[in-house]
Amino acid sequence: MPPKTATDLVLSAQDIHKSFGAQEVLKGITLGARNHDVISILGTSGSGKSTFLRCLNCLEIPNSGSVAVHGEEIVFRNGRIGDQRQIERMRRHLGMVFQQFNLWTHRTALENVMEGPVQVKRMAKPEARDLAEALLARVGLADRMHHYPAMLSGGQQQRVAIARALAMEPDVILFDEPTSALDPELVGEVLKVMQDLAAEGRTMIVVTHEMAFARDVSTEVVFLNEGRIAEQGPPDKLFDHPETEVFARFISKTRRDIA
Amino acid sequence: MSLIESLSANLPKLLDGLETTLLLTGLGAALAAVFSPGLALIRLGGPTPAKVLLRIYISFMRGTPLLAQLFLVFYGSGQFRAELTALGLWSFFRDPFNCAVLVFVLNSCAYQTEILRGGLQAVPPGEIEAARAIGMTRAQVLARVTFPHAYRIAWPALGNEVILLMKASALASIVTVFDLMGRTRQIFSRSFEFSVYFEAAALYLLITVVFVFLWRQIERRLTRPMRRTQGN
Repeated sequence: MPPKTATDLVLSAQDIHKSFGAQEVLKGITLGARNHDVISILGTSGSGKSTFLRCLNCLEIPNSGSVAVHGEEIVFRNGRIGDQRQIERMRRHLGMVFQQFNLWTHRTALENVMEGPVQVKRMAKPEARDLAEALLARVGLADRMHHYPAMLSGGQQQRVAIARALAMEPDVILFDEPTSALDPELVGEVLKVMQDLAAEGRTMIVVTHEMAFARDVSTEVVFLNEGRIAEQGPPDKLFDHPETEVFARFISKTRRDIA
Repeated sequence: MSLIESLSANLPKLLDGLETTLLLTGLGAALAAVFSPGLALIRLGGPTPAKVLLRIYISFMRGTPLLAQLFLVFYGSGQFRAELTALGLWSFFRDPFNCAVLVFVLNSCAYQTEILRGGLQAVPPGEIEAARAIGMTRAQVLARVTFPHAYRIAWPALGNEVILLMKASALASIVTVFDLMGRTRQIFSRSFEFSVYFEAAALYLLITVVFVFLWRQIERRLTRPMRRTQGN
């Protein structure tokens, strides 16, 4: 892999620190994503991986560090929000898919997907409707467009959520354990959609427990341990030759779980 | 006199009173509804001094009898006639109807604020995060996700509040407003015809029943998305 230079990066985070009260959850994390990168973030629970992902779009405000999207940089000092407008602008470039889907329950699948383009991008409604219909068809939900979330299975809801993120045409999509809340038989349909997105060359950062996805789909794997990056690199190298004992233990443990 | 005869004789006056009752309740509840969303937001996340003031106001309104509040404004304003005249407000306070509406707005607003606060707190945080993550401004998040959801949760309790206010509006008759109760008392004092109270009760019951029916229709429409079976 060629080294990353600052100009390549669509999204970068520099030295992110985050504490909740006295507990420091993130102890200085630096990570960058270029176009078409699919980065899987692994880690034991409590390693700070979800918190880090949420720092990238300022759902959590880091205590210090900086995040840059398309070269526009937001610097954090003392965990305070500088410019709310700047954060809103930056979020428009980042899609987010949540563990609990977080669809708006009072809107249909179609309305969920149209909402961002219409409200945030001020797209005309007919145009947004066409876009939303096309995206829902792409995630295999052409026949569920007018259903409310309560009528959809978890896997279907998560696919709507992915379509909702895609509708904003984001530069990077953040996935926060997208399959962790799903029944085992529904995991596959969501992973399939994510795989297709990766194959299309979408830039993705995925916090996940799905080892097969991390290994086969991602271009880079990051292993977090106790708020720091313990290991980082291409999946083949990492999975076959773990450098740290803690990552080796992590892999062997998940292998046992699968078997 | 038979009940029918008595009713037809009293009906024009009672209907006139009914109109006043509906106006009193409608204005009181609607104006309170204009202010309650903003106050509920302050109650939850406003600056501390504003929160403290709001809590004092709400405890006062919920902790004292509505009749006492009516007396306070109606008779109290008389004590400050000179000052109110100087401010150009006397013509407002001179009319008992205005005093009653003012008290109902203040009273209902306190209740509605608390009801809405509960609704706001029950909105799933994940849905708010999803709206923020997509790049909505704070105002958009409130208008598109938080309040639509909060009102769905608060809807039945708000309906209950309107019904209570409607029945409490009978108290306005004590400060000489000729609402349904006022007209009823007037008729009774002239004829000593006890049945007029039954007629008034029937009218109160009628508007409550109609109101409950309409409110429930809206509720069904609002909460249809949340139901697992969406047949209706």
